[in-house]
Amino acid sequence: MTYSSSLSMNRSRYVPRNQNTVSFRPSVHALGPVSNTIILIVLACLLGLLYLTQVTKTNAYGYQINGLQQRQAQLKSEHDDLEVASARLQSLARVQDSSVAKGLVSVAPSDSLQN
Amino acid sequence: MALPNTHTPIKAVSRVRLGYGVLLVIIAIFGVRLFYVQVIRYNHYKTAALSDQLKQYEIPATRGVIKASDNGQLVPIVLNQKLYTLYGDPSYIKNLDKTANQLSAITGGTATKYAALLKTKDTRYVVLAKKLTPEQKDKIIKLKLPGIGTVAQDYRTYPQGTLAAQILGFVDDGGTGRYGLEEYFNKQLTGTPGSLKAITDINGIPLASSPSNTEVPAKKGDDIVTTLDLAMQQQVETTLKKGVEQSKASGGSAVIFDPKTGAVKAMANYPSYDPSQYFNVDNAQLFQNAAVSQPIEVGSTMKTLTTAAALDQGVITPNTTYYDPSHWTVDQFNITNIEEDGGAGTKSIADILNLSLNTGATWELMQMGGGQINLKARTAWYDYMTNHYRLGKATGIEQGYEADGYIPTPKDNGAGINLTYANTAFGQALTATPIQMAAALGAVVNGGTYYQPTLIAQTIDSSGKVSNRAPKVLEKNAVSPAVTQAILPILDYVVQKHNFYPGFDHSKYLVGGKTGTAQIAKPGGGYYDELFNGTYAGVVGGDSAQYVIVVFIEKPTNAGYAGTAAAQPVFGSIAHMLIDESLVTPKTH
Repeated sequence: MTYSSSLSMNRSRYVPRNQNTVSFRPSVHALGPVSNTIILIVLACLLGLLYLTQVTKTNAYGYQINGLQQRQAQLKSEHDDLEVASARLQSLARVQDSSVAKGLVSVAPSDSLQN
Repeated sequence: MALPNTHTPIKAVSRVRLGYGVLLVIIAIFGVRLFYVQVIRYNHYKTAALSDQLKQYEIPATRGVIKASDNGQLVPIVLNQKLYTLYGDPSYIKNLDKTANQLSAITGGTATKYAALLKTKDTRYVVLAKKLTPEQKDKIIKLKLPGIGTVAQDYRTYPQGTLAAQILGFVDDGGTGRYGLEEYFNKQLTGTPGSLKAITDINGIPLASSPSNTEVPAKKGDDIVTTLDLAMQQQVETTLKKGVEQSKASGGSAVIFDPKTGAVKAMANYPSYDPSQYFNVDNAQLFQNAAVSQPIEVGSTMKTLTTAAALDQGVITPNTTYYDPSHWTVDQFNITNIEEDGGAGTKSIADILNLSLNTGATWELMQMGGGQINLKARTAWYDYMTNHYRLGKATGIEQGYEADGYIPTPKDNGAGINLTYANTAFGQALTATPIQMAAALGAVVNGGTYYQPTLIAQTIDSSGKVSNRAPKVLEKNAVSPAVTQAILPILDYVVQKHNFYPGFDHSKYLVGGKTGTAQIAKPGGGYYDELFNGTYAGVVGGDSAQYVIVVFIEKPTNAGYAGTAAAQPVFGSIAHMLIDESLVTPKTH
């Protein structure tokens, strides 16, 4: 196909014979209602997806927080147990019954305190 | 020749419009349905959804701990510990004997008992064991026994064992403080539970994305710091136990009281109990702190207060002497002395306390009435007992229950009120608790200020804010400072004249006191002939009184007068303990 023939074909498609070549159609093509609807649906889906992603992410953090809280509670419980054990080990009765205490000699009140 | 184009633009547009219309109809159907579900049936579906998803939890508040002083450091005497309750659901148990044996091997319980409990009908929850340790719980969970589970529960634990049990009280299974400090401060110790309202997943874990989640954190209960000194408490308990056993008594109480602040440094009763095993105690009387809840006729220890009242009124002086006939007849009854030294003759004020003269105390009461026991004497003495010494009313010490004691009113009731009042002068016909006596004697020996006895030094709230409890003055002029200056040497003299093994160095330390041997009232009236209570109320200090010590020994059966043979040795041991451990500042001059 030569350049002129192609030009001719083009002309024949868009500018038919005996037709005014002046066109008042806008140069920018507007989308039709179907396209608009589809685009809106797609956008809504995207927004929904975005929302779901964020919610899932937040909930995942929630599980992480829950796990950390459980760990914190466990550590606090262990701390409490250790505090109890420490207090028991330092109790007067235990110190009194210890081998070190049993090895000590009982001291009577000194002479200076007696009549 | 080209075929005619049947697909005209008009037909294409029609199809699109048709499709568009169908789509609109479908959307409209969905819209209507959604409107129905989301708007019209909104409440129904919301309720249905929330019933599954919305969970509301109570966040339990941690109960505050109780502390005491040990050589200047605060140490916990009551703590919380998470332990586990083992339960079973009989309807799920498959192999009964095997399950019971496996459990007993871990808990140390009896397999037959577990088997019997797991056979229980008409219930799906039986408690098999309590207070299991985390290790025991883990072992049981690993067994994966059907119908067997554990539930965590906070329990009070007592690192010092039975120390100060009756002061502390205990917390029952429902989490309520019973007796002692636990009951008195139950609300303060309990704290405020929090709450969590949240949309949760199927496992009950809150979903963080829910905007309607609300969490109110629990507020921990206040910590309480007592005035108790652990070392003193331990030794007073040991000494009291030894004293009760040696005097073959049925029980006893002892108190160390700081007369300058009202702080109770030690308070012991014997017998006592283990607060961690409170559910094994058969005798509920053991739960009571007898030093504040059991009023007794205090006997001759009262003579110190009678003498101080007479001195304060100016009806006698420390140097006054009088002729003691060795008996008085009041309301046709004879008042005599029970000790051998109470013969007729000229006596001094110091003799009244040293020889424990009932007639001397009665004579002091007479002086309050101008020479005889009359309404004036009774009213004056009643005023001292109830207002100056605050007997006959609870001191307000922080214990679950405190007794008022009893002081007879001075009005003539036609039933020998003068005899009754003569008896009160030497500690009979009235009742008071050891803590009331300690506080009253404290006021007499500290210059005349009655401090409310207290077991609390500080409270610490959940934010860590410390509130110190300031000493609380209930009576500023119980007696004049001159009375204190007069009474202390007399009390010191009394101790010097009595046998203590070993004795005290009175040049360095003030050690004074007075015995009491009180007859015990019969329920129907009158007194037992052979039953006595022994009491001792004394002071230890240097230039001034630093500690008031009150000892009560119930129904001792060893030889000698109850006050001298049973209570006095306990006082002596406690006084020595305070001096030997450098807890008393010696005299400077």
